[in-house]
Amino acid sequence: MSEVYLYQLSTQRVGYLSTRQTLIAQNVANVNTPGYQAVDLKPFAATLQETAMAMATTSPLHLTPTADEIDPPKPEDSEGAETTVSGNSVDLEGELVKLGEVNRDFSEANAIKKIFHQMMMQALK
Amino acid sequence: MANNDALRASLRIAGSGLEAQSARLRIISENIANAQSTASVAGGDPYTRQTITFEDALDSASGAELVKIREIGLDSSPFRVEQDPGNPAADDGGFVKLPNVDVLVELADLREANRSYEANLQVAKQSSDLMNQTVALLKDV
Repeated sequence: MSEVYLYQLSTQRVGYLSTRQTLIAQNVANVNTPGYQAVDLKPFAATLQETAMAMATTSPLHLTPTADEIDPPKPEDSEGAETTVSGNSVDLEGELVKLGEVNRDFSEANAIKKIFHQMMMQALK
Repeated sequence: MANNDALRASLRIAGSGLEAQSARLRIISENIANAQSTASVAGGDPYTRQTITFEDALDSASGAELVKIREIGLDSSPFRVEQDPGNPAADDGGFVKLPNVDVLVELADLREANRSYEANLQVAKQSSDLMNQTVALLKDV
């Protein structure tokens, strides 16, 4: 049986969503800042694909870096936003939609973690 | 950006947004309140409309970009002039300078500030909600 990475995966997802929440907060706070460019993260699946590659280890004592250390989530300029005369590209409605997405995904990741934990406890009892 | 601090950082950012927008509301209310304020001396300049601009500022502790007030300036557009010889602020020719405040413009600005404030408030609420969800994982273990 291969190892189960569900805990690690959902923890990474929560980390990703927290960072995305920070960027949304940043965009919303700067909605009236002249010249501010809206930022967003790459989709989680794309980030996961890029970081899934593991380094070769010649000894079991070697430390393998976590996915976060290899490639921490980087903000990207979000697409499709209209730029106003003042050079601001924040789309307030779009940001609020993203806020809802983050909330949903965060609940999902936490629910999975909880269920997985319950399964483990069942096996132990 | 440390991930475990990301939610806290987003709370701080939303807080800076609330602060900036409430400062903007204060400036707007000062403009509206003084829309008819003339000079205290005859022929003098009346209340000048105030403007507020924002800029993004990097918070080195969290690596996040907060918003802060760049400048509270004065509107340089010309004053309205009315013929009103009985006014104590009238000059020798009977002309009174009135503030360059357009209440309609201020009200439109007020609505926008209100909308931005609400959006920031929603972000702050959700950030604390996500933190609570994480803490709730510890329940019923």
